[in-house]
Amino acid sequence: MASTDWLDINSWVTSLAGFSMDTVHDLLPFYQSEFASVQPMLETLISTSIMCTVIFGLMMNTLLALTWIERKFIGRLMDRFGATTSLRSLWVGESGVTAGDWWNQLPLGIGAPIGWLNGILNSIAGNDHKLETISRVNNRGYHGIWFLLPGLFQNVADFVKFVSKEHIVPEKADKFVFEIAPVIILATTIMVFAFIPFGPHIWAANPELSLLFMMAIFGIAPLGVFFAGWSSNNKYTLIGGMRSAAQLTAYEIPLLITVLGVAVLSGSFNIIEIVDFQIQQSDTWNIFLLPLGGALFLITMIAEVERIPFDMPEAEAELVEGWWTEYGGMRWGLMFAAEYMRSYAACLLFALFFLGGWQFPFEDTLASLPTIGGAIATILSLVPGVVWLIAKAYILFAGFVWVRASLHRVRTDQILEFGWRYLLPLSIVNLGVAIYLRLEVWTGESWPIWTAPALSLIALALFIIYAIDEDKDALAYSRRPYNIQASDKAYPGRHKE
Amino acid sequence: MGPQHPMTHGLWTLKIKVDGETVVDTEPELGYIHRGVEKICESRDFTQITTYCDRLCYASANTWSHAYIYAAEDLLGVEVPERAEYIRLIAVELQRLASHLMWLGAYGPDIGNLSAMVWCLREREMMMDLLQELGGSRMHYNFPRIGGVKRDLPTGFALRARHKVKLFLNRMQEYEALFDESTIFLIRSQGVGYTKAAEMVNAGVSGPNIRAAGVNYDIRSAHPYSVYSEFDWEPAVERSSIKGADCYDRYRIRMEEMRNSANLVLQALDKIPGGAETYHEPGDPKILAKSPSRAPEGTSGSHHFEDSRGESMFYIAGGGDGRGKKPYRVSIRSPMFITIPYAAKTMIGYKVADIPAIMGSFDPCIGETDR
Amino acid sequence: MRVVSEKTQSAAAEKIAKSLSKMDGVKASVDERTNGTQNRYIVTVDVDVENWRATAESLRNDHEVDYCSMITGIHWPESEEKTWEIIYHFLRTGVTDPAIEEGVVVPNIVDFSKVKGKNVPLELQISIILGETRTPSVASVQDIWVGADWNEKETWDLVGIVFEGHKGMRRVLNPHESPAGFHPLQKQHKLRYHDYEEMYDDAQGFKRKPTDVGKVK
Repeated sequence: MASTDWLDINSWVTSLAGFSMDTVHDLLPFYQSEFASVQPMLETLISTSIMCTVIFGLMMNTLLALTWIERKFIGRLMDRFGATTSLRSLWVGESGVTAGDWWNQLPLGIGAPIGWLNGILNSIAGNDHKLETISRVNNRGYHGIWFLLPGLFQNVADFVKFVSKEHIVPEKADKFVFEIAPVIILATTIMVFAFIPFGPHIWAANPELSLLFMMAIFGIAPLGVFFAGWSSNNKYTLIGGMRSAAQLTAYEIPLLITVLGVAVLSGSFNIIEIVDFQIQQSDTWNIFLLPLGGALFLITMIAEVERIPFDMPEAEAELVEGWWTEYGGMRWGLMFAAEYMRSYAACLLFALFFLGGWQFPFEDTLASLPTIGGAIATILSLVPGVVWLIAKAYILFAGFVWVRASLHRVRTDQILEFGWRYLLPLSIVNLGVAIYLRLEVWTGESWPIWTAPALSLIALALFIIYAIDEDKDALAYSRRPYNIQASDKAYPGRHKE
Repeated sequence: MGPQHPMTHGLWTLKIKVDGETVVDTEPELGYIHRGVEKICESRDFTQITTYCDRLCYASANTWSHAYIYAAEDLLGVEVPERAEYIRLIAVELQRLASHLMWLGAYGPDIGNLSAMVWCLREREMMMDLLQELGGSRMHYNFPRIGGVKRDLPTGFALRARHKVKLFLNRMQEYEALFDESTIFLIRSQGVGYTKAAEMVNAGVSGPNIRAAGVNYDIRSAHPYSVYSEFDWEPAVERSSIKGADCYDRYRIRMEEMRNSANLVLQALDKIPGGAETYHEPGDPKILAKSPSRAPEGTSGSHHFEDSRGESMFYIAGGGDGRGKKPYRVSIRSPMFITIPYAAKTMIGYKVADIPAIMGSFDPCIGETDR
Repeated sequence: MRVVSEKTQSAAAEKIAKSLSKMDGVKASVDERTNGTQNRYIVTVDVDVENWRATAESLRNDHEVDYCSMITGIHWPESEEKTWEIIYHFLRTGVTDPAIEEGVVVPNIVDFSKVKGKNVPLELQISIILGETRTPSVASVQDIWVGADWNEKETWDLVGIVFEGHKGMRRVLNPHESPAGFHPLQKQHKLRYHDYEEMYDDAQGFKRKPTDVGKVK
């Protein structure tokens, strides 16, 4: 039986469509039988359209939080705060010295209530005066809740700004291709979401081979990128488009082979069945069975969505935004949103393929606990599965952001080398492991009890060995001994000593 | 590439001929911000010229105004009091530190690491606070005067400077961890942009760029000036790779130079004659000597100076308008004017993606290039 | 800190000055300047323009002067002895490529307090004087020191000194379309022109565009 929860939007929409069509059928004065023969098609049309709208709205609204995560998290990582701090500095100032008590300068004493408000705000969410004056620029201290809340409307402001800008087409650009490229990119990106189930009953389309379908559509976007780069009549965008096409193509193949491994392990090409396999049949998430596949999927997805460290095609250092330089206004805004949509799709797919989709971690174990198990099971059943899925996607995206803030950009030929020479063989190994597991280890009903822990421990051990086993000489050779007038070697955390 | 381009660190064009992704030929086009400083200086008094020299390289303003002042003192024959020399050294080394931080803050994003910019600028803010206390403004200080300095170390400066410089030395290890521990940075910057020392010297490159190639030539020790010989320090040298200095060496040498400058500042604060806490009024003979204001025709003065980017030099010929109150000719040698064409030739044979890595590692500053 | 001692520098400077003075048309002397903790000794050389190329080659080959710092051109329209002066600044650095032992580079750490002979760092200032002429020209040293290349371009661009034998001479600081013969650092040019009329009536000959006739800045 497939997994289910109470938020059954699909059946609500279908029944709504059925009810409305039945009503229409009953109200029709004539042509009732002709209408009855057309009715099933009309019902599916209406229900699918409504589901598409629902999914689109759900996706776009939850996408807003993604940009918010990125901004805030990067700000924290880079020790830089945005408009919130400057707003807050109106009443806090620097280390307790406010910006000149500006309210007292207003005429007729109308500033007095502002001063009173300022006092209250300071006592609720003011600065901690014990902080060092010296590192005032780098006030790593606690700001209170005010650094968390505002910033939610940044996306709206961005949207308004983009929409109000002029659409400029370069003079010698190939007009048709120039216009069609954003359409291709956006259309394929949004179409991907049609196949992603947000919950057990929240999906727009669920063909039997939804995985293949979706990966195929996901892979059309590189074509749009190449069109955009080529048609702008600009050397830089051409280079960016070429690099992008090469990079995305190179990483499609490990990605597809990894996903193939997941499909083999789960026994189906249908995404919902893959998730159901994890929830009900195997009782473990795929990541514990295919940890290598999870890592590969993440890396190839970061390359597919062109984020740092793989964002050579839009490297602003050389290419000033790369293949989308010549686009202005909303076309650029939507393509920029498309990049975030693809990241979102990547995170959602990872959560669906490897992290058990809409299941709360250890749900079954928790539900089977002696006394509180029943209460937990009731509480968990109140929360629709879509919440867990999106939470997992957000956490993964925070990981993407962390990677972005800390790593450098890899050069194109190094990216391609990495993709073809390292990721492709590893993905084939992963596929081999998946095939072996499914054919030899899977008992048809469940995994032997040792499977998941053994595989995860092996993977963890390999990772730790790989991370700590350093060839000291080779490392020293590659880092080259520092200044021979002796200074200490750096390592993270050293400054705390 | 250019003139408007985020990578070029300034306003210049680099024309590249590419074969696929490989660079085949390069030609730099400079002169976009040629402001005619040399011509302007011919109609300004010696004291008025100091402000122009700050703006030559805006990222490293103090080093340029001091370079000019030393040349002017050579021309006018002025003896500078020792305390003033120490104060100048503090200002110059703090400025060198700030300039290298700015370089690192620009180099990180060139390679792709966006956090480096914010972190380095954060530290640079500390240095700029100190320089603001000394000179009065954050970027163009107009700090030295012919015969000394504008004013003495302010009250409490030594305390704050020591604290900030030590804090910086601790935080520096964070930057090194961010860069040196990152395999991606190593593969981007090693093996890219090889240069050899003797060839560089013949091409007129100096400063950190040749010290990255394994030679310890530094104007401060080879042609000593000011009070550098009184301190216990050695110029930073980098053990380059066999084929020459690559971008990684040029990055490491600047990290070591930052440590050197920080240590010099700390030593200077300890050794300054009269103590760092005494304060002399502006114009006091201990910090400012009387100097003649005219240079008759036939005299000339020149001085080589170790700027953050290489060897800078001023040549001033006396005897201008106002019976020698203004110079007849001021000639400015900018290290980057000579290094940028050399760096452009270094790029041949590497990929287009290496251009920002190579160009950034030479630390271009176009203000001094175009004068 | 180990710095070059005054004695070594002045001795080396005297040696070069003596051997240069033996050449034709060259007059060399040592100038002592004060600065900071110790004095500097600059070798000042006056060379005739015909002997410049030979002198340059001798500097490079015999005395190992390897660094061309700056080339300055000065226009002296009012002076009696000279109309054009070209001043070269060189440095002898004593820099050699570091040695490679067992696959590792051994940095060349020079103890400056112990340098001897041809490794002593020195400053040189060479001055060439030309008389009244419309096309001052000097032999180019572009092939001897690569660093002189762009310095010569700049000197021609700003001052108007022609360097014979220089390949690839072009405008570097002024725009490419500057009129031929426009060299701003010559003394007849003003620093600032108040309006188009003044600029276009310049003797060096800017051509006024037909659309700009009668326009005032």
